[in-house]
Amino acid sequence: MLACLVTPQVAAIEVVTHPQVTERSLTKSQLRRIYTMRQLRWSDNQAITVFVLPSQHALHQRFAKERLQIFPYQLNRIWHKLTYSGLGVAPTVVKSEQELIQAVSNTPGAIGYIGEATLIKLSQSFNDSSSQQPLNMDDGQKVSGKGVLNVVKIKD
Amino acid sequence: MLSKLKTNAAVEVSSRVNNLSGDRSLLARTYLCTFLLAACVVTSAQAEEGTSYANSQDFQLHGFISQGLIDVNGSDFVNDDGGLSAELTEIGLNASYQLTNKFRLAAQVVYLDGGNRYSQGARVDYALLDWSAYTNESWQANVYFGRFKNNHWLYSSSRDIPFARPSIILPQSVYFDGFRDIAVGSDGIAAKLSHSTDEYGNFDWQLSYGSSPISDEQTKNILSEYAQGTAEQDYDAQASIYWQPAFSSWRFGLSLLDASFTYDQGGVGSGDVFFDSDFTFQFYTMNAIYAGEKWEFSGEIYQQRFTIDGFYSPDFQLDNIGQGFYLQSRYKLTQQLTLLARYEDFYLNKEDKDGKKLQQITGGDIPYYFAFHKDITLGVNYDITSNFSMRMEYHWVKGAGRLTPVVVPNAIINNTEDWQMWAVQLMYWF
Repeated sequence: MLACLVTPQVAAIEVVTHPQVTERSLTKSQLRRIYTMRQLRWSDNQAITVFVLPSQHALHQRFAKERLQIFPYQLNRIWHKLTYSGLGVAPTVVKSEQELIQAVSNTPGAIGYIGEATLIKLSQSFNDSSSQQPLNMDDGQKVSGKGVLNVVKIKD
Repeated sequence: MLSKLKTNAAVEVSSRVNNLSGDRSLLARTYLCTFLLAACVVTSAQAEEGTSYANSQDFQLHGFISQGLIDVNGSDFVNDDGGLSAELTEIGLNASYQLTNKFRLAAQVVYLDGGNRYSQGARVDYALLDWSAYTNESWQANVYFGRFKNNHWLYSSSRDIPFARPSIILPQSVYFDGFRDIAVGSDGIAAKLSHSTDEYGNFDWQLSYGSSPISDEQTKNILSEYAQGTAEQDYDAQASIYWQPAFSSWRFGLSLLDASFTYDQGGVGSGDVFFDSDFTFQFYTMNAIYAGEKWEFSGEIYQQRFTIDGFYSPDFQLDNIGQGFYLQSRYKLTQQLTLLARYEDFYLNKEDKDGKKLQQITGGDIPYYFAFHKDITLGVNYDITSNFSMRMEYHWVKGAGRLTPVVVPNAIINNTEDWQMWAVQLMYWF
């Protein structure tokens, strides 16, 4: 059961979106564009709302390096420049993974990231509390029947 | 209206010219701190509720507060008596509100106390309407109306954000504090076009046209403490382009500036010793930055042309071409600890790099070392948390070419070629 939650090519950090976001997969450069605030809308023209953890959070550090291939301090610079020069809007910082999950699931057009362990926990709590319906992460389906989050596949 | 705000605020809360200023600045600081505190409480209360993040990007409130100590020996860069000073306060608060899909409002208020470096007091750094004219996956076009920030040089948009710039004191030949309020932004119109491709990387083109108000105190800072008239900026036109190759650690930039100023002595009866005059300033920069995991290198090379027509006498003419560069490297020793080293070299007239002609022409009134500015800087930055940092640095400076007043310098206080300073600063932001 657990094995099928995490497909081998997927690293230990998952990119998640609000369930109404139609994109099921993103390219690496699309993800970079979204997190460097160079792409502000989804393909259906809905505004993208970006959530991140604090810059010194271990998961944020790993996400930046492994998923975006940008050093965390570079992201900070880009975001600070937007925020403190009036040029644009930077991602919203939330304190914990739990808060991030809540924020992404409550905000239409939202994108965020969570650790594999948290995702498994989240899925398990869903499995425990409802039917035996198997989860198929490859299709980027919802983690819970209530449509909490989408898991987005990142392609090279 | 904006221009009034900027000038009035700076003048009203301004400085050591009158003795009341101490109380006033304390009051202004208290107000700002209270406001910041209130802002923090509001933001954290919102976060705790945790109910609606839906509007979190529609309305954003951010700010920073920083305080430091600075000690300058051998120049009036910060104060006239050369003593240890706490005149290193920077407080800012900004808000961004998404009006509609296409329009956004943004503004930032900053309170500064930097001694002689700039006017003490609060000012509106930017207050603009951002029109998102076009956006798709790889293109973004924005037009900004109102007071916008100068975004053309490597650190021009982060120069007044303590934690976002590389050092407490920036290379003065480009980021001259004496010109801060004029160079940090303008009232007018700006446009930005961004393009991203997987093949060629990221491009940013920017154009801006506007002008900055100049307060009487700034006039004295820039021209001479005896100037009684009023200075005005007629226009400031700038353009720049930045290119970051796809998935590259490098980024390259070019910028151009053309500005014109006038000085009005205010009639014969004003008793002003200076005459009506025109000033022009042109500035061209090239810059590059390499940002690796541990090492970071950046540099800017620039040329300026400064002309004066009038001022000292109705038929006085001056046309100087100045040149300079700085090279900077930063090394991340740990995730929290960053070291900084920088060398800066600048001269105001390429025909007189050592200032001998300057000294000769002025009959020794202006010593040779007012013709250049060289600075070796070593520093360290420690990130205590994601929002709290400490910074320390030491500068060895040669020359008085970047001290105020600019046009008629003060050679009595600034009586040595070599001067040094150290500074330490604590910074918090949200």
